Amino acid sequence: MTQSNRHASGGRIDRGQPLRFAFNGKSYEGFEGDTLASALVANGVRVTARSFKYHRPRGIVGHGPEEPATLVELEGEDASGNRPATTIPLREGLRARSVNCWPSPEFDLGGVNQLLGRFIPAGFYYKTFKWPNWHLFEPSIRKAAGLAAAPNNPPSSGHFEARHAHTDVLIAGAGPAGLQAALEAGRAGKRVFLADEGTEAGGSLLNRNLTINGQPAMGWVDDAVQELREMTNVTHLQKATVWAYREHNLLIVNERNPEQDRIIERSWRVRAGEVIIATGATERAMVFSNNDRPGVMLASSVQAYVNRWGVTPGKRLVLFTNNNSVYAVASDLVATGIRVEAILDSRATVPQATLDMVPGLSVHASTVVGDVRGRKGVKAAKAVSATGVESWIECDVLAHSGGWNPTVHLWSQSRSSLQFDERLAAFLPDQAAQNCTAIGAAAGHLALDQIIEGGEDLAYEIEPLWRVDLPDQRGKAFLDIQNDVSVSDVHLALREGYDNVEHVKRYTTGGMGIDQGKTGNINIIGTVAMQKGVPLQEVGTTTFRSPYTPVSFGAIGGLREGSVLFPYRHTPVTQWNEDNGAVMYEAGARWRRPGYFPDQGEGLQEAVNRECRAVREGVGVYDGSPLGTFELKGRDVPQFLDFVYSNVMSSLTPGNGRYGLMLSDDGLILDDGVVFRLDDHRWLVSTSTGHADAMNQHMEKLLQTEFPDWQVMITTVTSQWNNATICGPRARDVMQALGTDIDLSPEAFPFMSFRDGTVAGFPARVVRVSFTGELSFEVNVAPRHMAALWDKVLEAGEPFGILPVGSESSHVLRVEKGFLSLGHEVDGTADAYDLGMGWVMSKKKTDYLGKRSILLRREGASTRRELVGILPDDPNKQVPEGAPLTPGGRKEATEGLVTACVWSVVNDRWVGLALLQGGHGRHGETAHVRLKDEVIPVKITKPVFHDPDGNLLRS
Amino acid sequence: MSYDVEIVRQGLNALFDLKGKPAAIQSWAGDVLPTWPERPNSRSGQDAVELYHIGRNHWIARAALDQEVKLGEHLRPTDCPADISIVQVSDTLTFFRVTGPHADEVMSIACPLDFHETEFSEDAVTYSELFSLKALVMRCKGGFEFAVEQSFGDMVEDYLSRATA
Amino acid sequence: MLIPCPFCGERSESEFIYGGPVGADRPDPNTVSDAEWVEYLTVAPNPLGPVHERWWHARGCGEWLAIWRDTRTHDIVEAPDDSK
Ligand SMILES: [Zn+2]
Repeated sequence: MTQSNRHASGGRIDRGQPLRFAFNGKSYEGFEGDTLASALVANGVRVTARSFKYHRPRGIVGHGPEEPATLVELEGEDASGNRPATTIPLREGLRARSVNCWPSPEFDLGGVNQLLGRFIPAGFYYKTFKWPNWHLFEPSIRKAAGLAAAPNNPPSSGHFEARHAHTDVLIAGAGPAGLQAALEAGRAGKRVFLADEGTEAGGSLLNRNLTINGQPAMGWVDDAVQELREMTNVTHLQKATVWAYREHNLLIVNERNPEQDRIIERSWRVRAGEVIIATGATERAMVFSNNDRPGVMLASSVQAYVNRWGVTPGKRLVLFTNNNSVYAVASDLVATGIRVEAILDSRATVPQATLDMVPGLSVHASTVVGDVRGRKGVKAAKAVSATGVESWIECDVLAHSGGWNPTVHLWSQSRSSLQFDERLAAFLPDQAAQNCTAIGAAAGHLALDQIIEGGEDLAYEIEPLWRVDLPDQRGKAFLDIQNDVSVSDVHLALREGYDNVEHVKRYTTGGMGIDQGKTGNINIIGTVAMQKGVPLQEVGTTTFRSPYTPVSFGAIGGLREGSVLFPYRHTPVTQWNEDNGAVMYEAGARWRRPGYFPDQGEGLQEAVNRECRAVREGVGVYDGSPLGTFELKGRDVPQFLDFVYSNVMSSLTPGNGRYGLMLSDDGLILDDGVVFRLDDHRWLVSTSTGHADAMNQHMEKLLQTEFPDWQVMITTVTSQWNNATICGPRARDVMQALGTDIDLSPEAFPFMSFRDGTVAGFPARVVRVSFTGELSFEVNVAPRHMAALWDKVLEAGEPFGILPVGSESSHVLRVEKGFLSLGHEVDGTADAYDLGMGWVMSKKKTDYLGKRSILLRREGASTRRELVGILPDDPNKQVPEGAPLTPGGRKEATEGLVTACVWSVVNDRWVGLALLQGGHGRHGETAHVRLKDEVIPVKITKPVFHDPDGNLLRS
Repeated sequence: MSYDVEIVRQGLNALFDLKGKPAAIQSWAGDVLPTWPERPNSRSGQDAVELYHIGRNHWIARAALDQEVKLGEHLRPTDCPADISIVQVSDTLTFFRVTGPHADEVMSIACPLDFHETEFSEDAVTYSELFSLKALVMRCKGGFEFAVEQSFGDMVEDYLSRATA
Repeated sequence: MLIPCPFCGERSESEFIYGGPVGADRPDPNTVSDAEWVEYLTVAPNPLGPVHERWWHARGCGEWLAIWRDTRTHDIVEAPDDSK
């Protein structure tokens, strides 16, 4: 029979809307308004999970985010793992599976762990599965230590969103206290952001039968929600958990299935002027032998299932408590016609007002639960009186309450302090560290009349019982049901010296589960306090950390997926590149650039050889737009450039440029680039593509913090100028064919100078630099003209066999010339001398960034790794870039590494560059690349394999 | 569309980056520029030239593209004195407009600024972060206008279409 | 964090780039001893408590600013002189 535990009427569910769902492959029915947990209770499913370590059968314990036992994995469209069944709203077609068990929680092969249970005490993993043998254990432990696996695919439809919000008041929790605070702030005209984790507002009132001024309390809730809806200054979200409280009043809210199609989850980053924490209280568990049997439930959860969802978890209940709240539960049960066998109260005296709520029930004071029978479902509870009288009471549900903890997670995350309150036997908010206040049950006001005027509620009184402590106790008494941490584990940790509460937590893993120990942590603290004989305040709490409840990575990432996982930049030629079959990838600073342009059926190497040959023998063109470019203006630019570059820039005359290195003050190479003087006070600095932003930061920092009086103004013009760089022996022919008013002869327009004019009818700045070693004209135009210029270059170059050149070929061409590449040869250890560039280190200047440090480092006689060329003895043998060089190829400390190795079309062989110990003095010798399976002998040469005197680039 | 907005990627504007002491720029530029905006991160505008005060001793002059040549002739970037910097930067920024009933919601996905009318006024203009990029942000009729570095234009368009899908 | 910018006022930390602690002034490299030079380069303040540090309003107005931030709490105990 379906829904055998469902009442005929009552509850906040819609019996007119049945929903089919599947749990562990079996089909069930529930109603709109159910959670997965309440629907399972309705269908009488008792064993819903297996425990983490011992694979003990477990049932549903709670009704909300505190649920420690029943975690499920959702399948299909809403694939996700490790979700508490109590927090999943039921929907048609939902498919869920228990975690930690195979093939089912009823029959679980991992259950053999139970038999080994006494051999897996706290710290067992740390002591046993450790170096050097961890790799032997890891695979099987990973398989057995199963919470749910991550879903293989993202949800098939919809997307995640993250957004910012700003508010005067953020209120966490829409229970009675939160709603009242929202009404007050809203009426005062403040911007209010009210977020509540439940599917509807009301908090604890949803689960209880209370009245306000003689009327049902939920009527008051409905009125409040209605009034808030009419206020335009109020944002009220349900299914929205405030899960993190960060510094400067930044809170993060996870909203599930907002009223917007296509959005699965939304993450709100809320900056609040003031925060009101109205997160209520969480019932805590009692600790006694076998307190994890299916059917041992929190009393307030039993109450919630009965009142809110119209289901009965059992037919004969026993209640166990140390406080008053359970009596209201019993009263509700009796009113629904459910049989309460007994109330066991650990207190010696039960207050009369409390007793008055349960006339006719059997209440046993000074009595505790000593044990529970029923492996796959409670069958009986053993009542033990103070005098030691034992009796078994048959029942199918044991509802227990160890008292209430104000839900102080957010309060504590804000770094605000807690104080243990002896009267409430709970940690309460004390000193606020940010602009926040705790109200309602979160502040220790656990009865409705303390929160809402006219509210009627039983007073809360408690005598704490941190654990049942009986002689000859048998069976595990769990402190943390999710992580299978029992009292004996905590005792072991204390015996072994882990007596700080943070150490106890890590050693036993108590409180480290998905539920973050919401029902059990306090009992761990209590157990430690009892064992050490100190007050709880002295033991203290562990640090409350975000997230308060699990949050999916999708929500944190927001839209960052697919094509916008990482930022990307295009030039006006990107489209042309894609249309012409370029293989595109990122090449620094987020620019998507062509790697190479394969012809039909061509591989990388063939395409690169063809492109390189075009540049060496005819002409090629590449899109050089991404180079970082800055215009510097002011009287003090010359002295500034002389300070940031290692060579002298101030002597440049207008129209001319110079290559230079920028160093940090500790002598490392930050960047290489070219400086041009436009006129007296205007300069153009170009940096490498990948370092443009960093160089801008570097220069601005110096100017604003070190030289605020210097007149230097920097404007980034990277995207004001794009360029097509025409390179190769026929470059001048192509320029002529394009048509230009600039005299291109080497006499009128020498290497390392620029000319302004027109090219192909476009206003252009033509620069003679060369990154390939060939005659090059860098034709800079405004981006608005770039695509058209590119077409014209290819058209004008066609008679000369022009080819577009990708970044792979650029790499080959620069290696053939021994030009540096940041990140290859410039690796953070090599200095200019090591790279054979001593000429760039000014002797004349008394000071520049890095000068002192390099002098200091080069004092003494230590040999350094220096840049050399390498030629593999076998010309057809490629050496992997990054491969180590060792003396004689022996298994010894490395003496260098290969920084680059390319197939050289001009030499018709592999050539490479390397940083090698004392390399400058070892030309002609043989060095050895040591790989895993072989040693490759290479000849050491000068680091240049083409046009060593640089005649071509000057031609 | 889960958001009711219109997104328009605009063509080029005439843009000039101005740096230096306001008095020095004013005396060079004369009356071609509008009244100086008074507060940081605010704008002024007249005769179709707008002036954005977006940093210490830093402004951007913006006009329609057909004003670029004329504005350039007045501002003479290459001739201005050493103590001010004027650079034509028209091509460096790509402007977008997001307008419609949900414009502020789409903006709040992209940007950490508080766009409430009391916090982000009619004449506000500022650099901020938009889809983690540096962006110039301001209001326009019926919504917001912003500009990102031109090379990121395609990515931002991609992002906006995902945000409003 | 909200970082106070002298030009823009308080802004989200995501608009800023961290610029390291404010160290000692750069000594004259031509007169300072080797040990002092190395000290200047390598010893950065790293207190438990307020630290004087630079931030760059990179996705904002471009200002380099210095604040005193408490490393334990992220409280900005002293803002730049001319910030709001
Ligand atoms: Zn700023």
